[in-house]
Amino acid sequence: MDMTGLEQGAHGMLPEPTHDELARQQFARSFKEHIVAKIHPGVRVAYDKRVQPEITKTTGKAPVLRTDVEPFMTKDPHYQMWSSLLRTSQEIMWSAAQKPVERDLDGLIECSKKNTSAKGSLTLDPTLDFPRYLTAVDIHCQPGGYHTEVMSDDVAPGAVYDRAVFIYAMGQMGPDNSDIGRSIIEWLEEKRPGFEPAKILDMGCAVGHSTVPYTERWPQAEMQAIDVASPMVRYAHARAESMGKTIHYSQQNAEGTNFEDNSFDLIVSHILLHETSQKAIKNIIAECHRLLKPGGIMVHAETPPYAGMDAFDAFMLDWDTINNNEPFWRRSHELDLKKLATDSGFDPEKEFEEMASSAFQVAKAKRSNKFQGGDFGGGGFWFLYGAEK
Amino acid sequence: MSDNPSLPRKAKGERPFFFDDPDVDKLLAMLMGLAGEVSVMRDRMDTIEHIAAERGLFNATDIESFEPNAEVMQQRADRRQEMLGEITRIVYSEIEGLEGRPEDKHESSYAEAMSLVEQDSK
Repeated sequence: MDMTGLEQGAHGMLPEPTHDELARQQFARSFKEHIVAKIHPGVRVAYDKRVQPEITKTTGKAPVLRTDVEPFMTKDPHYQMWSSLLRTSQEIMWSAAQKPVERDLDGLIECSKKNTSAKGSLTLDPTLDFPRYLTAVDIHCQPGGYHTEVMSDDVAPGAVYDRAVFIYAMGQMGPDNSDIGRSIIEWLEEKRPGFEPAKILDMGCAVGHSTVPYTERWPQAEMQAIDVASPMVRYAHARAESMGKTIHYSQQNAEGTNFEDNSFDLIVSHILLHETSQKAIKNIIAECHRLLKPGGIMVHAETPPYAGMDAFDAFMLDWDTINNNEPFWRRSHELDLKKLATDSGFDPEKEFEEMASSAFQVAKAKRSNKFQGGDFGGGGFWFLYGAEK
Repeated sequence: MSDNPSLPRKAKGERPFFFDDPDVDKLLAMLMGLAGEVSVMRDRMDTIEHIAAERGLFNATDIESFEPNAEVMQQRADRRQEMLGEITRIVYSEIEGLEGRPEDKHESSYAEAMSLVEQDSK
């Protein structure tokens, strides 16, 4: 979906770039759009015309799994060019998003402390251990990751992330990057008409771009949002306040929170699960079971599992694992999700895995309708995994 | 320049390389960095043209209808050749080396040159 005309929605915490900083960010976005539109399609052509025949000829059978494709595809010159350009586009994107933040960080921090009317709240926990699965590498190539603070009360990781997500999604998640949250809400409205949650939790909220839609849709609900990283929740809280939204942010780990048993009607997460670990994801789902009221529902949005995918598509979706600093991506896409839920106490009959249309999808015909490395908002739909208690 | 501390430049984690020769990946990254700078400059020029037009100084039509005279055309052609020469120097300097200079009487490799200067007898 070409959203070239769409710019990011301004809010009180979004850093204002200079003329040239903005031009650099727009180049980063155009570069990504160019890769998706012009370079990426050629990878499929190279596969169909060159690589698949070679695999069939060399191994005696057509490729079935992504692992059949990988050793051959990684040697294809067009794949190499696409990959190299895509990785470089990531680095250019993060650098472009950093510039205005770095220039005026003290100003941004000052701004984050000014809440003329604190509708929501912010609770930090300096004693919280930062999980190793988020520090082994800097996730999705953001320099410093979610956690690195260079000044006290730092918000830089949040400010950089907020802008970078918009560039990364090329506007396809909407002006406020809210598509994932909105898509879950629309899916819930269709599947559970009349659902009125009184208490909602967003796990791994980052800057709150997915959180805000819930409080907009259900303004009477108590909205809680957690993230392990203090600079993220600091920024998220200030962002929500500047938008006039009532959200209670706290620095917590979704593997074990301080909320009461049986206290939430709705627990959601948005592209969180692939950024955890084998052990952590089990703890998170178990924590969801503990926290949900009977009849409550958890919905976790992600990109779809590899099972059942065409070998080439699965291979391409796997790109992020090695090439975009997402070490848990592969494993998270190959989990037995039903078992994950039932091991945590959910009834297998109440577990679901469904596809939800993107709330911002416009011209269906123009979209590739495939998740691909680098076209994060490009699938036209989100994979939803969850269960009712 | 602000007094703020810098943000981290590089993401922690081994950087993958895709071509057989990782230097190709590096060159590609440098090339796209340069493309970014050209893009920024072009956008700034565009802003200048818009402001000039708003203030009645000159506009895009003036730019389109500007007719450089023969002297300006020649200057531009010369400047382009100089620019291209700067960019492609590495390509023809290798050939210059092969051809040698007319005044050179001796062929020598770099190793031979070092050997020459290191010998006590010369």
